[in-house]
Order: sequence, then structure tokens, then C-alpha cells
Amino acid sequence: MKQFIAKILSHASVSDCFFELAFAWDAAAGPVLPGQFCTIRVSPYSAPLLRRPFAFSRYDEKTGVAAIAYKKRGPATELLSCKPAGGTINIIGPLGNDFFRFATAGYAHFYLVAGGTGFGPVAFLANHCAQRNLACTVVLGCRTRSQLPRLNLLPSVKAVVCTDDGSEGIHGTPLTYLATLSPMQYASSAVFSCGPAPLLAGCHEWALARGLSCFVSVEQVMACGVGACMGCAVRVTDAGANGFARACTEGPVFDSRRILWT
Amino acid sequence: MDLSVAIGGKKLPNPVGVASGTFGYGGEYEQLVDFAAIGALYTKAVTLMPRPGNDIPRIVETPSGLINSIGLANVGVDRFISEKMPHCRELPCAVVVNIAGSSADEYARVLEKLETCPGIWGYEINVSCPNVKHGGMAFGTDPAQVERLTADLRKRTKNPIIVKLTPNVTDIRTIAKAAQEGGADAVSCINTLVGMVIDVGAKKPVLPMGTGGLSGPAIRPVGVAATYAVSRAVSIPVIGLGGISGPLDALQYLLAGASAVQIGTANFVDPTTTARVLAGIREFCERENVSCIKDLHRFIP
Repeated sequence: MKQFIAKILSHASVSDCFFELAFAWDAAAGPVLPGQFCTIRVSPYSAPLLRRPFAFSRYDEKTGVAAIAYKKRGPATELLSCKPAGGTINIIGPLGNDFFRFATAGYAHFYLVAGGTGFGPVAFLANHCAQRNLACTVVLGCRTRSQLPRLNLLPSVKAVVCTDDGSEGIHGTPLTYLATLSPMQYASSAVFSCGPAPLLAGCHEWALARGLSCFVSVEQVMACGVGACMGCAVRVTDAGANGFARACTEGPVFDSRRILWT
Repeated sequence: MDLSVAIGGKKLPNPVGVASGTFGYGGEYEQLVDFAAIGALYTKAVTLMPRPGNDIPRIVETPSGLINSIGLANVGVDRFISEKMPHCRELPCAVVVNIAGSSADEYARVLEKLETCPGIWGYEINVSCPNVKHGGMAFGTDPAQVERLTADLRKRTKNPIIVKLTPNVTDIRTIAKAAQEGGADAVSCINTLVGMVIDVGAKKPVLPMGTGGLSGPAIRPVGVAATYAVSRAVSIPVIGLGGISGPLDALQYLLAGASAVQIGTANFVDPTTTARVLAGIREFCERENVSCIKDLHRFIP
């Protein structure tokens, strides 16, 4: 973990609503794993004030390039979208735990389920799996065809696309697709999911009903990002944690059975 | 130039500390910050029993500010001593433990336990948290209770006692005077202001508790004015805080009458703020031929 000023290498839209910002990674900050995030100070002024957390969408140790994917949804991401390639950004990272610590032996296959900006970390994870010869299927949900991001997945990764309006792929959400799977298809699989809360909850329920493990990357408003402020708490089921866990340091990836779904 | 700060017979090496609740117990920021540049670490508030904290969401950003409703989530004094202090003790900066409680008895019991623990520089008494139903700000808005509580804690320790004041009162000077009467060695000025954000679409407050504590650059003028008023009402040192993001902000507090400052919300934005502020204060004092922090107080009568 390190705070550093990174050079922006490329910054482009990857669909009509998502952007990918790639920047030079400082090797001294340590390697980045799928599921981890960084915080970016988007403005040198006092508004927007807080750093914003962004999950990594790719990282290449050899080239020293890291990237985040995001959607413009407020003043902070609006400002971020104006930063040109060749400029710089203030980064703290890598932060949080990673998906891969949960990808233990015993799973033959992974369903990597993404909704919205969740495509970034999920694509990162999918390529990570492919490089390690772990079988996986990316299930990507989007509102409509024009929003579908270019994923740059390795050839061995299978991808299923779902759109809310049916303009591309399966008509429905990733949950619609999961519901069509037979026990033979999902046997020995685990689910990793990143996206809107209803999608995460749906993946959890789907996996739970089938006796499968499910791991989710949660989102919460964050202040410090390093575990100090207790601001990004999420509700968990274990009393040992007093009912709360910090998304920034104990997460953002949790075993879905640990989350208290409401 | 002497940038040390004398409080209750002890000295802080420099006037720039990190505010309670924004730096955890220190370890969280270890990879990002040089603790040798920090005058004092004011720990996350410690209570007698562990507290889970308030319901979520707990924070919401506001124009140049942040409203939090953490609710004193902490591991409790026993685990603080066994799990956090061994690391705190190794830090090269002074460790001031922030104490909170629901009753005078709780404050006393926490302090007594901490008294058995080596490596604590002093105590900051949190009578100003706006996010708990009992204790916290309920104490800090009543001068008689502040004086009684401070006097009771005074009997139990020789370490410096710093009372952290709430700005959510009619006249903050009366509370500061009560703390001084009770035997406080300094006051921290100010804790957060009560604030609320309403989600118009949902037609309800964003924070489950309704209100929270507003911090950040938005409250700096309030903190500077309070520091100005309090430093003229008491003879003990005033530690200024509220919205300090850079050296000029800190210098406003010091010129207003503060003897030291704390960096709070700005740590979230840039964890190295403390070092930057300290360097800026030093540079200003050199340029202006100011020999010590106290010397800054002569400019504004």
C-alpha cells in the first residue's frame, strides 16, 4: 500500500456509459489482485472532498499498468472523466482483500457474475483465472446493448451477456441466466459477484439454495479506505465482529453467508 | 525555533496532531505516514465495553464536509490495552487516548484501567460526541457536569487531561471555563457540528440516526471563531481543530489563540497532511521571525 502520483496512460470510454482509466503503477506499492481497489483524490479542492474508491479492472505486473473502470454518476466521477491521458492522478492502493483468497481448491468452475461497473473487477478476475487454468464463465449484465463494455477477455474465458431490454444476449439479468442452469452444469462451481446490491443478494440466494459457495464484493460509502474510520461498515452475521465489518479492510470481498442480507 | 507545546507539565514535540476517530489506533496508517512527524496521535474513542457503533450508512459527504454517525464503534478498553497499546507504545509520537462514556462512572473506570498501562501521554475526554444517545455531547453541553467529571478524573491521574469541547452550545466559553475549573490541562476546540442530510427521493434522512457530526473544511471558520473565543476565556492551552487541510488553515487557528492543532477529516483526503502542515508552520514562523507557537498569539489581540 502506498500513496503516489500516477501518470494516466489512457482514458477512454468502453461503452456509452463506462470508462476505463489506465495508469502507471508504482511497483513499490506492491502487486494488485482482482477484487482489490484503490482510492483516488479526484479534486485538489475541498469539493468533492473525499477520495473515491475504485476496484481495479486490470493489472499487469510486467508492464506496470493498472486500470479502473467506472461510470459517471456524480460530481466526483464527472471530474475524473475530464482527466486526460498524460496527466496525473493521486492514488492510494492497493487496498482491501481480494477474490482470489477465496478461490481455494475444490471448485471445478467459477461463475463470475457482473452487473454495471462490476464488469471491471470481474474481467480482471476472469483473466486471472484463465492464466491459472481455472475454468470460469463470465456472466455480464447491462441495461442495454450500447452500454455493454468491451471486456478484453482471454480466449479461454466463456462469456454470457444479459441485457435488461433483451437488445443483446439473454433478455434479463445475470440471475435470469443462473436460473436456467441445471445441477449438472453448476456442480462443483462457486460464484463470485460484483455489482449492484440486488444482484449480489440474488447470487447469494441462488448459490445458497444449491449448496454452492458465493463470494461478493460489497460497495459502501468510504472515508479513509484503510480501516481507521469505521465509516464503511457493512452488516455481518457473526457476533464476534459485533455485527459489523469494514468493507475497506475486512472486505470488500466477503463470503456471502457472512453478509446480513436485508 | 521551538515548536514544542507544553500541556500539563508535559511537552508535545510539535503542535500538529491527528484527531480522534480519523486515525484509528495508528497502525492503520503505518504504511502511508511517517509518525515521527506527528505531534500526537489522539486515538479512536475508547469506552468501557466494546461498542458496535451505529447502524449504516454512517457517513455522507456534504459541500466541503463530511457528516459521520459512527457512534463510538471501538474494541473497549480491555482489548485496547491488550491489542492496540502494544503497537501504540512503539510509535515515535505522543499517544493521547480519547475516552468516552455513558456515565461519569464509565469515564472514571476507563481512565483507571488506562492508568495501569504504560506508554500513554495523556487523555482527551470526549464530552462532545453528537452520535450517541447517552453521555458524549449530553455531558459536554452542561458546564456543571463538565466541571464535575473533569474534577473527578483529575483526582485519578497525573497525566495531562484535555477536554474536547462541542460547538453545539450557546456559549462554548462557559464549557471551556468549567473544564478549566475542573482541573483540565487543555481543551480541544472543536468537535463536530450537528448536521443532517435528507434524501429527498426517499423523504427521509440519509443517516439512520437522523443527524450526525459535520466535519471538514466547511466547519473551519466555526472552529477558528470558537478557538478565538475560548483562548480568551481560559488560561490553559487550546488545541484547535475543525477543517484543517493545509498549513494556512492551521496557522489561522494558531493566530486565533490555539497552542496546538489537530488534523481530522483531511487525513482521509491526504494522509500526509500532518507533515505538510508542520512544514508549513515551521516555514511561516521562520519567515515571520516567530520564535515559538505562543509568539503567534501576539498578532491578534
